[in-house]
Amino acid sequence: MDALYEKLFYQSLRIRLVEEKIAEIYPSDKIQSPVHLSIGQEALAAGICNNLLVTDMVYTSYRCHAYYLAKGGDLNEMFAELYGKVTGCGKGKAGSMHLASKKVNFMGSSAVVASTISNAVGSALASKILNKNQVSVAVFGDGASEEGSYHESLNFAAAFKLPVIFVCENNGLAIHSKLEQRHAFVVHEHAKGYGVKSVYIEEGYDFAKINQVMEGIVKEVREQSIPYVVEIKTYRYKEHVGIGDDHNVPYRSKDEFEQWKQKDPLIQDAALVAKFTDEINKEIEAAVKFAEESPVPADEELLADIY
Amino acid sequence: MEHNEKVIKYKDALLTSMDDALTRFPGTIIMGQGVDDHKGTFGSTTDLAKKHGAHRVFDIPLSEEGNTGIGIGAALNGVYPIQTHIRNDFSLLAMSQIVNTAAKYKYMYGGHFNVPMLIRMIIGRSWGQGAQHSQSLQSLFAHIPGLVVLMPSSADAVLESYNHAVEHYKGPVISIEHRLLYDYSFKSTYGEKDAAKHDPFSSRLVRKGDDVTIVATSIMVIEAQRVADYLAKELDIHCEIIDLHSISHFNKEMIVESVKKTGNLIIADTSWQAYGVCAEISRIICEHDPRMLKGPVVTLGMQPSPCPTTKKLEDLFYPDDYTFTMKIVEMVKGRGHGLSVAKTSLNETYKSFKGPF
Ligand SMILES: Cc1ncc(C[n+]2csc(CCOP(=O)(O)OP(=O)(O)O)c2C)c(N)n1
Ligand SMILES: [Mg+2]
Repeated sequence: MDALYEKLFYQSLRIRLVEEKIAEIYPSDKIQSPVHLSIGQEALAAGICNNLLVTDMVYTSYRCHAYYLAKGGDLNEMFAELYGKVTGCGKGKAGSMHLASKKVNFMGSSAVVASTISNAVGSALASKILNKNQVSVAVFGDGASEEGSYHESLNFAAAFKLPVIFVCENNGLAIHSKLEQRHAFVVHEHAKGYGVKSVYIEEGYDFAKINQVMEGIVKEVREQSIPYVVEIKTYRYKEHVGIGDDHNVPYRSKDEFEQWKQKDPLIQDAALVAKFTDEINKEIEAAVKFAEESPVPADEELLADIY
Repeated sequence: MEHNEKVIKYKDALLTSMDDALTRFPGTIIMGQGVDDHKGTFGSTTDLAKKHGAHRVFDIPLSEEGNTGIGIGAALNGVYPIQTHIRNDFSLLAMSQIVNTAAKYKYMYGGHFNVPMLIRMIIGRSWGQGAQHSQSLQSLFAHIPGLVVLMPSSADAVLESYNHAVEHYKGPVISIEHRLLYDYSFKSTYGEKDAAKHDPFSSRLVRKGDDVTIVATSIMVIEAQRVADYLAKELDIHCEIIDLHSISHFNKEMIVESVKKTGNLIIADTSWQAYGVCAEISRIICEHDPRMLKGPVVTLGMQPSPCPTTKKLEDLFYPDDYTFTMKIVEMVKGRGHGLSVAKTSLNETYKSFKGPF
């Protein structure tokens, strides 16, 4: 097995183990923040971010843990943030839904669906004006593509030829609503109507494939300053928000879940999982310890950083 | 408990009012994100799609501005749409249609059109709701002529005002519900012969007292009642409580009469004080006759910051019962009163909230 494959595997597994740790801690009430887990969707963050430079900018939704980590966000600061500690990446004011790390240009994650898509376009506008040779990436769900501002953003990016990649994580669900009930268009096809190039990746569990496709796209976007739409089919293992499994509820089927698991390298490749788990868990334990031992913010923090 | 006393949860009152509207008026629909799923908008729309049909209770795309415009169009053509925003914060995406279209439709076209519709929005609080899931935006809406803005604080307040909205009122109604009220149980006399009569779109006097007037909104009415119980029992201080209920069309006379009697006014709102309910009620008193007051008006609301996620700061962000109580004691007995007040707080109740979100 080649080194690149192992690197991507490691990245994906690390995200999964971090989120499984969160799920393990959650019942203790130490993390008092709604958590939207990416378990099942890790390969996207790993495959995409592997092609980005530190200077490239990523914007996501509340389902942000995976990209925070894949973009290079600090694990200690992440756990501290979840614990509401002042050492967290948002000094405890952000919580799970608003991770951000300026150091690695992980630019923000919003709890208002679709609201960061236009921000990524603006960031691409700035990089074009200032000649920064950067790529900006907007990550959003299939539900977000129903918002007007997604369409407005696509149009703007196309009209101004901006170096921005729109990544639609299509898990087929918006909370409990199925895509078919909500969508009268296909994300990657619809983009062409704006003259925006697009690609569809069906194997959302396959970080190697995502990585390979993204390599070409990132290069093209960077060199030619054009927008691109990338739609990736994926599957959310956990409930929309929280740590529970909800395959017993009629809105989705257990079969579907089983099928994804059959293809999921993080489940199927037991040898690699075994190879990396200890090392990753050590890092996670240290981060949890850091969070546990960190202080909560002082009272003055409440009214700091407003203006 | 007296015999015949009916107790009903807030969310069940919501469900009943939604069910009644669909049953009694065939033109009523509920269109909102997730209204037909198994969680049923936190229990307020559960199973209604099954009962009344998927053509009347349905899920919609994530397109707040468009959805609101579509609701308005449906209202213009004979349907009564009930729309939902699972957080008040998300209604901001619908603001142009609400403010520029729904609120103006009747007036701008010379009174020839009506836009009868109900838009329900839910305020989040606790368990790390954070800056974008916790806002209480009543004053933004109440600022706009043409909108009726309600904040029902009890099960009966829901039943009275929603049934009235659907049956009798021809314009847009914005109703802001508090997520943490959903699981509260309330005594209910709604529909009974001797039930208290309220103007469904105006304020309610929920407690009489001679020492201080509390004007409160939404869940702050519950807090006010707890504080008033404590003050009456422990310190012989008697509060009069006015549940504002209607943010846009509250009962000014009721407030003025009460302040005339008590000379003390405290306003407890779920939102920020600046430019909001606290400011508005103060304006009413100042414009009427500030000499009614024995001392300065006191206001209680969120700290002037976005809502922080961490519990440590969130506890400071919202006023607690202790602060509420102390402010009243100071107002009535003066500073340096030397009285001690127990530190109980609804915060404990809030803390036990862990979703669903
Ligand atoms: C503007 C807005 N509307 C509604 C919501 C409530 N909401 C939160 S997540 C969500 C579903 C989003 O689905 P999708 O974009 O597919 O992302 P996923 O959760 O599947 O990753 C909804 C409707 C919101 N947060 N913001
Ligand atoms: Mg989705």
